[in-house]
Amino acid sequence: MSSSTQNAKAKVSFGRLIRLPETGSFIGFVVVYIFFAILGGAVFVGAPGWSSWLNIGAEVGIIALPVGLLMIAGEFDISVGSIVPASSMTVAMLSGHYDFPATVGILGGLAIGLSIGFANGLLVTRTTIPSLIVTIGVMFAVMGLTLGFAVLLKGSTSVSYVPHPTAKFLLGQFINYMFSVAIFWWLAFVAFFFYILHISPLGNWIFAVGGDRESARNAGIPTSKVTIGLFMASGFCAAFVGVAQVMTYQQAQVAGGQSFIFNSIMCVVIGGVLLTGGAGSIVGILLGTMTFAVVNQGVFFAALDPNTGSIIVGALLLIAVVSNDSFRKFAISAASKKT
Amino acid sequence: MDQIKSLIYRPSAAAVVALLSVTLFYIFAGVEFGKLMGAASWVNYAARIGIVALPVCLLMVAGEIDISIGAMIPAGAMTTAIISGHFELPMSFGIIGALSVGVIVGVINGILAIRTNVPTLIITLATLVGMQGVVLAGSKLLTGSASVPLTAPDWAKTLFGQLMFGGSHQVIIIWWVVLAVVFWFFLHMSKYGNWIFAMGGDNESARNAGIPVNRMTVLLFVLTSTSAAFVGMCHAILFNSAQVSGGMNDIFNIIVSVVVGGVLLTGGFGTVFGVFVGTLTFAVVNKGIDFTAIDRNWANLIIGFMLLIAVAMNESFRAFALRASVGKKGATPEPSPEKAT
Repeated sequence: MSSSTQNAKAKVSFGRLIRLPETGSFIGFVVVYIFFAILGGAVFVGAPGWSSWLNIGAEVGIIALPVGLLMIAGEFDISVGSIVPASSMTVAMLSGHYDFPATVGILGGLAIGLSIGFANGLLVTRTTIPSLIVTIGVMFAVMGLTLGFAVLLKGSTSVSYVPHPTAKFLLGQFINYMFSVAIFWWLAFVAFFFYILHISPLGNWIFAVGGDRESARNAGIPTSKVTIGLFMASGFCAAFVGVAQVMTYQQAQVAGGQSFIFNSIMCVVIGGVLLTGGAGSIVGILLGTMTFAVVNQGVFFAALDPNTGSIIVGALLLIAVVSNDSFRKFAISAASKKT
Repeated sequence: MDQIKSLIYRPSAAAVVALLSVTLFYIFAGVEFGKLMGAASWVNYAARIGIVALPVCLLMVAGEIDISIGAMIPAGAMTTAIISGHFELPMSFGIIGALSVGVIVGVINGILAIRTNVPTLIITLATLVGMQGVVLAGSKLLTGSASVPLTAPDWAKTLFGQLMFGGSHQVIIIWWVVLAVVFWFFLHMSKYGNWIFAMGGDNESARNAGIPVNRMTVLLFVLTSTSAAFVGMCHAILFNSAQVSGGMNDIFNIIVSVVVGGVLLTGGFGTVFGVFVGTLTFAVVNKGIDFTAIDRNWANLIIGFMLLIAVAMNESFRAFALRASVGKKGATPEPSPEKAT
């Protein structure tokens, strides 16, 4: 493994570069950014533009990373959409309504995410039900629980919470009144997941599970543990975004979070991960998220109708999907010619 | 005893059990059975998602999925309202327009599905987002608003948007039942049904057996998006207006109804009757809770558990049925009877 990567570094040829899975995502990002830079002008290229799309990118990006890992391993997680409000409700309920210290609230919120992820993983590995269905079921159940308990305990669907200054500083401040601190957390998560997927042996396991689960199991990989771990990671990250949201907006609501379901999947797909399993990279997911965020916020700066944003995202998805498909055929055929 | 067994072995068994237990649960929770039966809210809702759930069932049996339906329901409604309401063209133009939008999106989905190796969940996610944008931006561009009024002539009202029995039952309930019979015939009685099962079981073998897999795939995608556009059109005619929003929740609700109805997400297994019952179950859970003393907010919790339990039942019933059929074969001299036990 290490010798082959060194080899790759030694001869960086144009053909090799163009066959990298990230190249397509990178070209996509550059094209989209230039497009909106021309339409949006100096404001979009300056700090206000960067902060607006990075803030959006950070929220969806933190969730897109583990969702991407799951998709590489051949699984889906729809339940993230309900974990975000569930965790922010837990924080606001514990620390806002019951006046526990902020750490208790934060730990509670994150624990909710981890345990829902564990339940997802257990259900997926112990039964033959596809993860799409399992996580849809869990999503409905968690939505019901969040709503039900909010109304039962608080009598309302939104809870306000004024966070402790330290907690606010770490998780919910705006640096320079513009850049959300979540951007730095996003980068930290990127580094962490990059290590997991591309450097640690766990990454090889994840690719192997997505490529062929049966062979992976026969090769001695603890496939169930890997799957459960990945679901817990996506639960944790979704809960983290929920915590950061309540710290930022000082309020938690039962609704919302639904948009994260498809948005995170779209970032991952634009980043070159396809649900055929076994292929994808963290850099690709990062680029995909950045592209998505630029389109999402760029339409406002470009004074376009905001809805054209979703036409562009849809078109980008299609292009990503079709080009990745042909890119991969091209790369595989080039590789097989060599041998 | 054998009859009971053969009933359990049916793919719709879990759906029937789910419907019975949910109804019983609500009766224990204080619902008057008669009142629930007479109420229109859940039947109307069942018809709304049921008309789309039927073709989605066929598509899932063929091993594909379509989530762009979430954008097609508002797309159908808006197309009807923009053509016949805003531009005041004859009603038939609006109806044909809405259905054509459905056909076009279905063809796009279908062609992408057969030309690429990309999972259809991802393809239809792209058309879902794209169509949402097209509908929203198109409506703003053409009418300057996100909601368009529509006055439908009497014949259109009678056909697509009347309330029946002098009460509040919508006429699309009849459409749903008729379409269910048509789809039942299509899937279980015609040769096309066999083709669909073959495609879901093993796409490659189906192609080798001479089944026009590509044409069938495109046809199924056209059926799902056109049905969704049809539902949107009926609602626009009924409510005399169309809104761009809505439809996103329908995606999951429809998938849940189909899966509770015993259709296997990976294809090759499922019945129209099961999906019909699954849709009824979903509608009873979702709307029936208003008739109980239980707070409406817990409905989603019940839906989540019902889905997981129903799917788990489906899985074990199927395993049970497959084992039984293998066991029967084992009685006649077949090789490897050890595997059966």
